[in-house]
Amino acid sequence: MGRLLVTGVTVSAVLLAAGLALWLAHPSPASLWLLNAGLIVLMATPILRVLVSFAEYLRLRDWLFVGATVVVLVELALTVALANR
Amino acid sequence: MPILVTPAIVVIVMAAGTVAGCLGALLGLGGGVFLVPFLNAALGLDFKVAAAISLVTVIATSSAVAAGTTGKNLINLRLGMLLEMASAAGGVAAAMTVTRISDVALERGFAAVAVIVAAIMLTQLERQNVIRDPNVDPGPLGGRYYDKESGAEVVYRVRRLPAALGVSFLAGNVSAAFGIGGGILKVPVLNAWCGVPMRAAAATSSLMIGVTAVASVPIQYANGYANPPLAAAAVLGVLVGSRAGLWFGGRTRSKWLKLLMAVVLLLVAVIYLKRSL
Repeated sequence: MGRLLVTGVTVSAVLLAAGLALWLAHPSPASLWLLNAGLIVLMATPILRVLVSFAEYLRLRDWLFVGATVVVLVELALTVALANR
Repeated sequence: MPILVTPAIVVIVMAAGTVAGCLGALLGLGGGVFLVPFLNAALGLDFKVAAAISLVTVIATSSAVAAGTTGKNLINLRLGMLLEMASAAGGVAAAMTVTRISDVALERGFAAVAVIVAAIMLTQLERQNVIRDPNVDPGPLGGRYYDKESGAEVVYRVRRLPAALGVSFLAGNVSAAFGIGGGILKVPVLNAWCGVPMRAAAATSSLMIGVTAVASVPIQYANGYANPPLAAAAVLGVLVGSRAGLWFGGRTRSKWLKLLMAVVLLLVAVIYLKRSL
């Protein structure tokens, strides 16, 4: 789980840094694409972390926590759905 | 109001993010509690823009701090996941309804909450919540970890779970409405009422605030409040700052951490009260 978080943050930071450097040099569609991609990776990281926990509790047949992760995932799906409305 | 984003503002936001990230990692708050008043009051950004940028940095702080503390057993994953059910619900609910509440009312309410939480912290300076005997059963939700201050393994149990769930829902509301990590509410309550030691409460909260923020940020991002260059600058600053905060965190006694947190909360309350007058 630590590795997932580190990877997510690193990828997002690289995209954001590259996008910001390009944007400061000259605001272009490419720089905005990189900035938005970095933000989306950043937002996706905690969601992936909950998915990994869900898979882990499912493997352990720990039903209380399978239920808890499902509730969290449904709530996050609702937000993403509202955002894309 | 369109924002004129100049290179100078980007640099200022990055510096502010660095300071906020450092303090946030120290306190388990996410840096938003410092960043929002700065972006909003000092730089003159719209409150909703400041809140959205800050919440994006809260996600970054959360992932970075949580990744940095995983080996130490401080994060209580099971407790965190249960409380995330409530905090994410609070985040979604607030993201959908907050437009109907006036800024002044929100700021006054926030100032009152901050004062109450600071008072709780100040009365709990000496409480440790740890059981020195490592053979004690921590129960289904408790935990154990190696405590640097006492140089031994310590155990704790979780009490009053409904109170923790209730405050997590509120923390989700506050997170989405004000752009701060909900740790400002959760950490003191987990520590003072629910038996969770300060460091474990802060680490668990650090993990949770990412999910709490993601429960509302996509909506704010879709509304165009998370200005990409400013959000990127703030995130990069916060990532550097939170590393520095983690480094200091291992070297500060929790009594001073609590005192610092109470002072910070009172300062935030004063800022918000002044702004609402």
